[in-house]
Amino acid sequence: MKKVTQQSDDMLLDFLDGKLTNEQQAAVSESLRQDSALRERLEQLRFVHEAMIPAYLETPSKNFTASVMGKLDQQPAPRGLSIRNGLFLLAGIVMVLTIAVVLLSSGVFDQTTTVNLNNNELTQRFIKQSLPAFSIDGKVLVNAIILLNIVVAFLVLDRAILKPFFQRRMESM
Amino acid sequence: MTNDGDLLVIDRILAGEQNLYAGLVDRYKSYVYTIAYKILLNRPEAEEAAQDTFIKAYHHLKSFNREAKFSTWLYRIAFNTAISYKRKHRHDFQSIETVVISHAGESEGPLEKNDKKRFLNQAMAKLGEADRTALSLFYLQEFSLEEIAEIMSMQANTVKVRIHRARQRVADELKLILQKEALTL
Repeated sequence: MKKVTQQSDDMLLDFLDGKLTNEQQAAVSESLRQDSALRERLEQLRFVHEAMIPAYLETPSKNFTASVMGKLDQQPAPRGLSIRNGLFLLAGIVMVLTIAVVLLSSGVFDQTTTVNLNNNELTQRFIKQSLPAFSIDGKVLVNAIILLNIVVAFLVLDRAILKPFFQRRMESM
Repeated sequence: MTNDGDLLVIDRILAGEQNLYAGLVDRYKSYVYTIAYKILLNRPEAEEAAQDTFIKAYHHLKSFNREAKFSTWLYRIAFNTAISYKRKHRHDFQSIETVVISHAGESEGPLEKNDKKRFLNQAMAKLGEADRTALSLFYLQEFSLEEIAEIMSMQANTVKVRIHRARQRVADELKLILQKEALTL
């Protein structure tokens, strides 16, 4: 059976929604007369259309309004991290920082690695020109990562722990 | 009630008549709950998200832009709240109701209205939450594409395409479901 295209699907949906001009409607009707696959697809889409109409509203519990009114003086649920998750995240960051500092001070990252792209088989095969070699200083790289982690740790401390903590204290006063 | 009516009530609530907020909750609770339910597919979670929506809206009533419709602003909060609930509780969400939907009433007879709804719910459950919400709002026939777009923070054209694709997907899913049903008869 001939496959119905995306374009004809869109046209059939507009046909069901009554969004076509008279000429377009006549053209669709003619196509439907000639094409059984299109007719079958229209029936499938019509089934969805008729099952959806009338769409009904879901009903919340009977005491919904009373529950909302009873909670109005509460602050809405905070977005983002809870204090507990913030503490876990902060502990993780501090642990990573400690390991990085210990490794750094023991000289693990003292070496400088030189990356020479010309030694790569792929570059040799596809790029005829010679590529520049560059070196990576392990110490500088790890220092940058440590610095970034310290900034993240301060942000987590502020947003997820200190701010909610003082907000709660203010509310309870 | 028109948006002007809502604005008058909002003014009085902001002036201290907190109890008037119950009127707004009553008026819009079904819509807010429906949006939350279409996203979460779980009644207790939808109830909680809908209540949270009204509490958030109350606390941000001062910042409500009066140029916009109150209902659209409220439904956008509902949409965002339900989406964040969904993300928070992602692991708990093989909803009992979805499972019930897929098996309830399997022994029922011919394709009656209830069966139609049952199959439709099964097919709808296969959609993503944004597509399901867009499709549901579209068929409530009370929102223009522009309003749905505003609620979902999307372009109207994107919403139109999403609704078209969602209807196609539901039709395809229904076809599969009905074929399976026919085999089990």
